[in-house]
Amino acid sequence: MTSIGTGYDYAVSTYSPDGRVFQIEYASKAVDNSGTAIGIRAKDGVVFAVEKLAQSKLQVPGTNQRIQGVERHLGMATSGLLSDAKQLVTRARSDALNYRNSYSASIPVKTMAEQLGMFMHAYTIYSGARPYGCSVVLGGMDDEGPQLYMIDPSGSYWGYRGCASGKGKQVARTELEKLKFDELSARQAIKEATRIIYSAHDEAKDKEFELELVWISAETNGRFERVSKEMVAEAEAYTQALLNAEMDDDE
Amino acid sequence: MATSSAKEASFSPYEDNGGTNLAIAGQDYCVIASDTRQSRGYNINTRFAPKTFKLSDKTVLSTAGCQPDGNMVVTRIKQHMESYKHAHNKEMSTPAVGQLLSTMLYMKRFFPYYSFNILGGLDKEGKGCIYSYDAIGSAERVPCLASGSAAALVQPFLDNQVRNCNQVGKPRIMAASPVSHLSLDQAIKITKDAFTSATERDIYTGDNLQIFIVTRDGVEEQVHPLKRD
Amino acid sequence: MASIKLKLPQAAQNAQEPITHSDGPIVTGTSVLGIKYKDGIMVAADCLASYGSLARFRDVNRLQAFGERTIIGASGDIGDFQYVQDELEKLMIKDFCLADGHELATPHVYSYLHRLLYSRRSEMKPLWNSYVVGGVHSSSSQRFLGYVDLLGTTYQSSTIATGFGAHLAQPLLRKAVEGREDTLTEEEAVKILDDCMRVLFYRDARSLNRIRRAKVTKDGMEVTDPYSLETEWAFAEHIVGYGA
Repeated sequence: MTSIGTGYDYAVSTYSPDGRVFQIEYASKAVDNSGTAIGIRAKDGVVFAVEKLAQSKLQVPGTNQRIQGVERHLGMATSGLLSDAKQLVTRARSDALNYRNSYSASIPVKTMAEQLGMFMHAYTIYSGARPYGCSVVLGGMDDEGPQLYMIDPSGSYWGYRGCASGKGKQVARTELEKLKFDELSARQAIKEATRIIYSAHDEAKDKEFELELVWISAETNGRFERVSKEMVAEAEAYTQALLNAEMDDDE
Repeated sequence: MATSSAKEASFSPYEDNGGTNLAIAGQDYCVIASDTRQSRGYNINTRFAPKTFKLSDKTVLSTAGCQPDGNMVVTRIKQHMESYKHAHNKEMSTPAVGQLLSTMLYMKRFFPYYSFNILGGLDKEGKGCIYSYDAIGSAERVPCLASGSAAALVQPFLDNQVRNCNQVGKPRIMAASPVSHLSLDQAIKITKDAFTSATERDIYTGDNLQIFIVTRDGVEEQVHPLKRD
Repeated sequence: MASIKLKLPQAAQNAQEPITHSDGPIVTGTSVLGIKYKDGIMVAADCLASYGSLARFRDVNRLQAFGERTIIGASGDIGDFQYVQDELEKLMIKDFCLADGHELATPHVYSYLHRLLYSRRSEMKPLWNSYVVGGVHSSSSQRFLGYVDLLGTTYQSSTIATGFGAHLAQPLLRKAVEGREDTLTEEEAVKILDDCMRVLFYRDARSLNRIRRAKVTKDGMEVTDPYSLETEWAFAEHIVGYGA
């Protein structure tokens, strides 16, 4: 990176001469250090998958979840600083409640993305603020059907068919691009998401990881649900079979 | 336009759900009893709605009047006793709860709890102890007491049988003395008789009789049937 | 005719008068009945929302499910009930977001409703309803049937009837159910409730013969679609001033 150490990276309210805000880029680094998170928008639902890297063998499985529910039809997967992410989840929930108090209806995913994006953006314009060190994969089912968005630390967001953030985002994106989203059901997407998380996992650098899987689909009545143990096992078996086949090809 | 002409009856936050309580204190025991009927006007809501509650191994509280208010009093006393226990590492004594209840009731002097309470139990010396209250917290320690819908029926009976009022040749127990001279068995007998009689004459009393007996061994609870008409 | 009085906003009220927030219910639902039976809890209510004596809305649902194993039946002001439904929905979402593996069972919902109604009566802004709350615990299979009203009055019983039903149906329910809570079959329970709803339709002028019924058992909940009760009016022909 050019201009580092030239005084343009102290505050988020200062641009560098070439028009960059370094604090935001540093925040993105925090995201790149964390386990991969992906989202897939299939025909009948969305699927979230997270590679939750174990900090220690003593860690209890199922704790520090990185995919969390915001409302019954809406959830988010995060990568980056977990405590920042938790604050965003809390914020998202209160935004959703606020919307409900006004309209007696569930907040549309797009509205949620807009509001949460603006909230994160507010931390990129004042000198005293530190931008959120996380990317948010936001997805759910509303009147428009399945919806998927990703918000980055700058607060900007786009809608996606498939998206990835974190360590393995490059590998994951390459894999996601190969998917035929128009033919993909949420049930199939769980398998693909599992496969992609495994392929994005770097065994040389990180050993243990826990796979977190959530879907919101027609099959779950549009509700945020953790994927059952049986289905996870099935998806992992599918992944394993593909890996074995690849190994055979290599030989 | 709003005028001073006749209006619909506006909302009243109170209702009398009936029910009768009784307590007798002895040298080393206290008996606190209530019926379990809950009423609304001429309707019986349920035949079993307890309104006497064990607060600790030596304190029992009974309520009558507006059920939601009585329920609130019990809940708040319990909460306070719990926090007292955490703060001081000991159970609140019956006289302390007695004072607390008085304060709690008076704090709502201008929107009172419509609840007629009796607090019973053992004091620090292990003697039976009863506190009498009105709805706004005026408190007094007495040897025996009736409250609730049949109070006017039961209290004279207790005055006569427990305090020997209007009895020839028996020593009268003053209203201000802390305990009666009855044995526990006698007290329970009088309690049952008081409720069977009250049930005959008061439509808000009946169904079941719940008796709490507080001794140094703790609190024993008995339930006996009353007439259900 | 006792008219329905709408209060002007506070500022427009006569300054001499005390502030009145709610003088009574406006659009109302009549009785709700609830009983315990062998397999769980059964609750019934009709589909009418009245505006005074006008049968204003004839396809209203007064039975609200809370989760898988709790049913709430509402009588009294429909607007207040809808507000309570919104509050319960928010409670459910809050509980869902916690994702702690604990569920809000029937007694918890009952307690929540009680505190909500009692706090509002204490503010002198009552939610003008009587509720029947029924359910079966998911693991212990224990049945729960409770009542809570605008004053915060609570009680539990094996038969509950609100409103007019407390006068007309409750005696019938007690006769049919008390002492038989563990032996009554589903068919018998349905008949008891249908019969009581029919009696109410004959004598309660704010009722309708179109009703909904819900049952909660350890296996979950079923709420019927609205259905009509068979009634017999031929006798009216012989009563002067009743029929033709």
